[in-house]
Amino acid sequence: MTSHPVVHAFISGAITFGYVIAGLFFLRFWRRTRDPLFASFAAAFALLAANSALPVMFGIPNEHLGGVYLLRLAAFLLIIAAIVRKNRRRR
Amino acid sequence: MSPVWAAAVYLLCLATSCVCTGLLMRAYLRGRSRLLLWTALSFACLAINNLMLVFDLVITGPEVDLLAWRQLSAAAAIAVLLYGFIWEAEG
Repeated sequence: MTSHPVVHAFISGAITFGYVIAGLFFLRFWRRTRDPLFASFAAAFALLAANSALPVMFGIPNEHLGGVYLLRLAAFLLIIAAIVRKNRRRR
Repeated sequence: MSPVWAAAVYLLCLATSCVCTGLLMRAYLRGRSRLLLWTALSFACLAINNLMLVFDLVITGPEVDLLAWRQLSAAAAIAVLLYGFIWEAEG
């Protein structure tokens, strides 16, 4: 597949917006249930949105450059912590 | 930032996505909530996205750019998740 920069930016923008909306859904679930799992997922998806947006906004060709991938790391660490906390409470 | 660290982060994210997929599928098979199925499929697409990142960074050379496939998998993850939230989540 060939990639045009404008197409790449458009799709990245759509993905970013998608992550934001998903985060808002998780926030809504948290507001309804007060389950901290949903709050963690909301924060994680906000970080994934930033991870998707920043390379395009700052002209970084790949997310592993400039430390952008640390946002992805933080998001998935939040998810890991939420799952571990949930499983501990079940026991 | 060293590509080795970035690759390690992406592998951690891949592992987390796979664990999330497994846990969500297990929960779906127990409760048959379609929302869990869509969320599981979303995390499976995120796992593919993380796998593509590892391939792009470590395995394939600079002549092969997996950006389009990475974006496709991320877009699929978000589309599946939002579909599930909109159609299956109780109002």
